[in-house]
Amino acid sequence: MTPTLEDLRPLSLDLALLLGAFAVLTVDLFLPHGRKRALGWLTLALLLGVFTASFFVDVSGPAFAGTYLGGPWALMWKRIALCAGALTTLASLDHVDRHFPTRQGEFYLLLLFCLTGMTILPGVRDIIPLIISFELMGIPLSVLAAYAKTEDKDGVHKHAPEAGLKLYLVSAVSTAITLFGLSLVYGMSGATKLDAIAHAQLSPLLSVGMLMTLAGLAFKIGAVPFHMWIPDTYQGAPTPVVAFLSVAPKASGFAALSAILLIAFRANQAPLASVLVLSIVASLLVGNLMALPQNDVKRMLGYSGIAQVGYMLIGLYTGTSYGVGMLLFYLTGYLVSNLGVFFVLEVVAPRRFGVDVSELDGLVRRAPWLGLALLMFLLSLAGIPFAVGFWAKFFIFMAAYRAGQTWLVLFGATMAIVSLFYYLRVARAAFMQPPATNETLQIRPALAAAIIVCLLGVVGMGLYPAPFLERAAAAAQAFLEGQG
Amino acid sequence: MSPIQLALLATFLPLGTAFSLIVLPGVRRAGKLPGYISVVTALVALVSALQLFAYGLEVHDIARVTTQWLPHSVLGASSAAPSTIEIGVLLDGLSVSMLVVVCLVAFCVQVFSLGYMADEPPADFGRYFTWQSLFLFAMNTLVIAPNLLQLFLGWELVGLVSYLLIGYYWKKPSAARAALKAFWITKLADMGLVAGLIVLFVNTGSFNWTGTVAVAGPVTLLLFIAVMGKSAQFPLHVWLPDAMEGPTPVSALLHAATMVAAGVFLVARAHPLFEQAPNTQNFMAYVGGFTALFASIVAVVQNDIKKVLAYSTCSQLGYMVCALGAGSQVAGFFHLTTHAFFKAMLFLAAGGLIHAVHSNDIHHMGGLFRKMKLTSGAFIIGALALAGVPGFSGFFSKDLILEEVWERGLYLPFAALLIAAFLTAFYMGRVVFIALFGKPSEHAEHAHESGFAMTFPLVVLAIPALCAGYFGAELSGMYGEATHFHLSPVGMTASALGLCGIGLSYFMFGAPQGGAALRTVFAPLGRLAASGIVDKSFLFGYRTVLRGFAGGIGWFDRYIIDGLMNAIGYVTLEVGARLRPLQTGKVQDYVYVMVVATIALGTFAAFLR
Repeated sequence: MTPTLEDLRPLSLDLALLLGAFAVLTVDLFLPHGRKRALGWLTLALLLGVFTASFFVDVSGPAFAGTYLGGPWALMWKRIALCAGALTTLASLDHVDRHFPTRQGEFYLLLLFCLTGMTILPGVRDIIPLIISFELMGIPLSVLAAYAKTEDKDGVHKHAPEAGLKLYLVSAVSTAITLFGLSLVYGMSGATKLDAIAHAQLSPLLSVGMLMTLAGLAFKIGAVPFHMWIPDTYQGAPTPVVAFLSVAPKASGFAALSAILLIAFRANQAPLASVLVLSIVASLLVGNLMALPQNDVKRMLGYSGIAQVGYMLIGLYTGTSYGVGMLLFYLTGYLVSNLGVFFVLEVVAPRRFGVDVSELDGLVRRAPWLGLALLMFLLSLAGIPFAVGFWAKFFIFMAAYRAGQTWLVLFGATMAIVSLFYYLRVARAAFMQPPATNETLQIRPALAAAIIVCLLGVVGMGLYPAPFLERAAAAAQAFLEGQG
Repeated sequence: MSPIQLALLATFLPLGTAFSLIVLPGVRRAGKLPGYISVVTALVALVSALQLFAYGLEVHDIARVTTQWLPHSVLGASSAAPSTIEIGVLLDGLSVSMLVVVCLVAFCVQVFSLGYMADEPPADFGRYFTWQSLFLFAMNTLVIAPNLLQLFLGWELVGLVSYLLIGYYWKKPSAARAALKAFWITKLADMGLVAGLIVLFVNTGSFNWTGTVAVAGPVTLLLFIAVMGKSAQFPLHVWLPDAMEGPTPVSALLHAATMVAAGVFLVARAHPLFEQAPNTQNFMAYVGGFTALFASIVAVVQNDIKKVLAYSTCSQLGYMVCALGAGSQVAGFFHLTTHAFFKAMLFLAAGGLIHAVHSNDIHHMGGLFRKMKLTSGAFIIGALALAGVPGFSGFFSKDLILEEVWERGLYLPFAALLIAAFLTAFYMGRVVFIALFGKPSEHAEHAHESGFAMTFPLVVLAIPALCAGYFGAELSGMYGEATHFHLSPVGMTASALGLCGIGLSYFMFGAPQGGAALRTVFAPLGRLAASGIVDKSFLFGYRTVLRGFAGGIGWFDRYIIDGLMNAIGYVTLEVGARLRPLQTGKVQDYVYVMVVATIALGTFAAFLR
């Protein structure tokens, strides 16, 4: 079948993003130094434009002979990615302008490439473009993680290249493992289309292939035992990048995992189920316990993110459309809450790589609104009502109970209590400790706007989650029914 | 206004106040202003609640209005009939009575706080009243909830405000610790509620407490775990004594009258569910009976007036839980109502005493009666009501509980409650005789009666504390079967034991020279008494037997139960710290772990198959 122009229609949003990225690059060439800040606004406008367009442009239907499938599922993921990108851009504006004044264009360009990979991936139904789009997301991210390499006024910061290099090396190994696994899968099934792989006969070699694929992807989402890159990278990268880093690979990873587990391996899940359970238990346990003794808030958030991944994996593990829908909802809630916390850290400690808990002391006295926002984000991550995180956990547990996994509900609930210790430790510093300095905090308008949007998301979805739940459930249903 | 509008006013006006105080720092820091705004808000809520109560006396089921919150489509396929999650307002005898209790106590406490907290810096003063208003909103949301989910949301919010209020004195490390402890222990218990809600919803398709439920057993047991946490039942009671680190009016409102009673309210609300689970009910009766006895024993040896009252609250909540376990929603809730009034009054009066001598120790208060007649009088009325002296409100409700427990054939819990009744009278007598009539202490030299703001609430609360009992029939008719009071052998025994307890405490702590009064009573034994043997034997009995025993129990509570709770936290932290060296920071190690893990997982999967 020869590709036609019609094949590009389901991908029109992603193409717009890509063209926009090149436009940013071109504009960068002509902008004089000192005015590069406009690139950030341009990127933001682009992302918001594509996000708005996603409500009006019809991008459903197959493309390139079923290699790509547009539909509610792909659209939902695209919007999540675009929101994460827009919020990150908004929060990065001042950071980039101040710390990397001459390298602004590349920053946004990398971000946009990364986002393009993220938006294409969920609709892909073939293993080769799947890996390509995944790497399109992953490689720019390693560069972004090392972005603070030299130009800081304090000179070279050793954490920054370390963070980027670690991410890059470990990520390369994980991609190698995935590719090796997929080549075995291809060898045993003779197909690259996900649907066709599902018809393969189960054989030992296929099991090995599936397992290696899973292991590689587990790295991207940071599930135990493939989590070790997370804390080091979080600590060394610029805070707005970490914020993005804490949600973007997770979003892509879960999209890829869903596609591979629930489509390609749907008939041969037996050998994978036990591995998945093991990873859930280990992620909840290790993530929560390791987060406890951390004094660095960024590291703590890294570990707590591992625990959050454990909850999301529960949704995937149920394999039901309800469970997968709740995974999507969980991710949405996690996105706004987690971005929010990192943005608050960016206000409090803008130039530092590690942020000690004590730096948040008395935050509520220095900036009451900021303290309150931080409290809401933390409560949401801990799963306390009136914040979106509560519904996320509640519905994930409901899905697990429905799937007959009562013990997972009890285990997950117990671990949620453990998480209170470290989330409340941060809240306690902000609310119950005397402030170290009496300097009032300067909050730049762009960053403040990003925090307010996150806060609105956390509270809004906490009070009235219905529309988001509905969309997530519908998307998951369409996905499992093969409508994309 | 329609009943629904009144209920919404009583609920959302405090939210509006709290929100305005949060977003308008200028108002919050404007000296006494936030206090006045908050008090007026509470007054409006109280008036609305009273108006609803007047409706409720006529029509028991006033109104139930709900609106769809989450549609069926987002809840996934359910085995039962399609359903939605609703929010709304349910006004019946139970919720209306509870509204009055909450609003009245909240109003009194806030007025009291105007005086009690007057010396606080303006910023803290404003913050205090912000949380107070927020609490009123949270508690009322819980009370008017038409289903368990909304009740749970209010329940969690109440817990959060409690965290903020216990930790109000944030400069004190012990207060911050107590706040955290209270929060995480109740949260641990709340997971029972979450699990119970999920089981209930998946099996019945709704969060309602009505209707026949096949899984009533597990659901009610899970709900009861949360009740044990919130209503401080053994062994999850350990947070309550520590919560006394908060300001005294907060203890009166949250940790005596309203928030801790939420657990009891939940069981009374979900009565139709609990009725279908006799095993859970029996379990409740035993837990309640044990807690009532246990806590009253510990209260005997406390010297901190607030700790005495805290353990007493534990003990009285045990009575309520035991009554609910005996299947008597009416008795349990009736005691909740009377207890809320007299215990809030006791706490506020204790707050007045503490304010006067700047110490919590009862031995520092000696002889305050002469200096603070009104406050002491209120405290005595509260103590008499708590001791169950005939004629006071506590007598009627306690009597009803004992009768119900006896009739249900729960003899062991009954015996526990009976002994607890004796001990209650004894430890309250002890506090009264030492703190109000005892040897004047140097701390109490400059004590004088509190101002109007701190005495007026006592007078307001004294009215229901004195006479709520006489309206037992009307009140019980509002939320169950109308129960007419009658004198029964059970009740008389309990009252007699109570009077004995007071008498004993008088001889131990009140009588001029130890047991002088005893000598006149036991005239025939006059000579023996003169030699001091009676005194000594009484004192011996108290000092060694009772005190030793209570001390032992107290030790068990402090170090074993509390220690166990702390140990769980400690071990968790320790394991976390031990895991730390695994993270080496070397990228080679990470890659190595990844590869090994992949191989291990593969072996594991192959092995399982």
